[in-house]
Amino acid sequence: MNSSLLFVTLLSLLLCDNTNSRFNENQQTKSAKGIVDVYLQMKDAFAEDNSKGAASAGKKLADALTKFNEPWISEEQKKVFEDIEEDALEHASHIAENSGNIVHQREHFERLSKDIYDLVKSFGGGRELYKISDKTYNNGKGAIWISETKDIKNPYRGKKDLKKGSVQEEIK
Amino acid sequence: MRKKVLISIVLLLAAIQFIRPARNRNDKITPDDLTVVLVPPEEVRMSLKNACYDCHSNNTDYPWYFEFQPVAWILTWHINEGKSELNFSEYGTYSRRRQTSKLDAIANNIEDGEMPLKSYKILHKDARLRQDQKNLIIKWARNESDRLQSER
Repeated sequence: MNSSLLFVTLLSLLLCDNTNSRFNENQQTKSAKGIVDVYLQMKDAFAEDNSKGAASAGKKLADALTKFNEPWISEEQKKVFEDIEEDALEHASHIAENSGNIVHQREHFERLSKDIYDLVKSFGGGRELYKISDKTYNNGKGAIWISETKDIKNPYRGKKDLKKGSVQEEIK
Repeated sequence: MRKKVLISIVLLLAAIQFIRPARNRNDKITPDDLTVVLVPPEEVRMSLKNACYDCHSNNTDYPWYFEFQPVAWILTWHINEGKSELNFSEYGTYSRRRQTSKLDAIANNIEDGEMPLKSYKILHKDARLRQDQKNLIIKWARNESDRLQSER
């Protein structure tokens, strides 16, 4: 009786070993998690007004995008990916090439965030993700970003107005 | 010694005049041209043509000083860079996603003053857009971007 209880306890501990337990191993690997992880690093750099860090993440992101060639993608999905990749690559490259010009980098980050949102909706991000909106950014045009947490750290405004924004969607 | 250096420079300059880069020239407006695909208002079309097309299309209006090197090299470099970023002549071949990205980029770059390039504006009076001309382009580009995105 005791050993069964121990077994069950150990088993349940193993199954719930991380905060992303909603996402099993399959969902993590068969997704665009690798790309999203780098995007999140870039997002954090922008929130800290770190132009150099964002540029470095841009280079890594371009790399992650070009290397993404997963065998589980259907021909149909490949077309969807390539459409997003083409645009996202340009933005990642611009961000990488403009260290020191955070205004210009953020302009590209805005478009890139839309691409990453579409990517996550089509392929999954392999983790808990949220779509956060800054409705008044850029003279009311607004902008969104993807975050792994509901905690608001605005990558478009950085220290000037870090908490500005609201969670629009929990991306399932 | 100084005389020898001077003569060498003159000879080098003379020699490079014989290197003539191909011209970016195609007098047709193709069906893929942005002005055919999106049909902007006439004011916007003229502004884009005068301030942007030399570097951002398949049809550059070459100035007399293009005959001389190293000017021709520098201009050709600018044109190649410009076209790789955005080519109005081939806009219709871009994906919808890329088309909207480029419209956003047009609006942002003009608003920030990054485009047209300062060096280009010095030599091209027509490229020195007035604020109202810039505002028209920006407003048009942003509206078109929203329209294209909502149509997806």
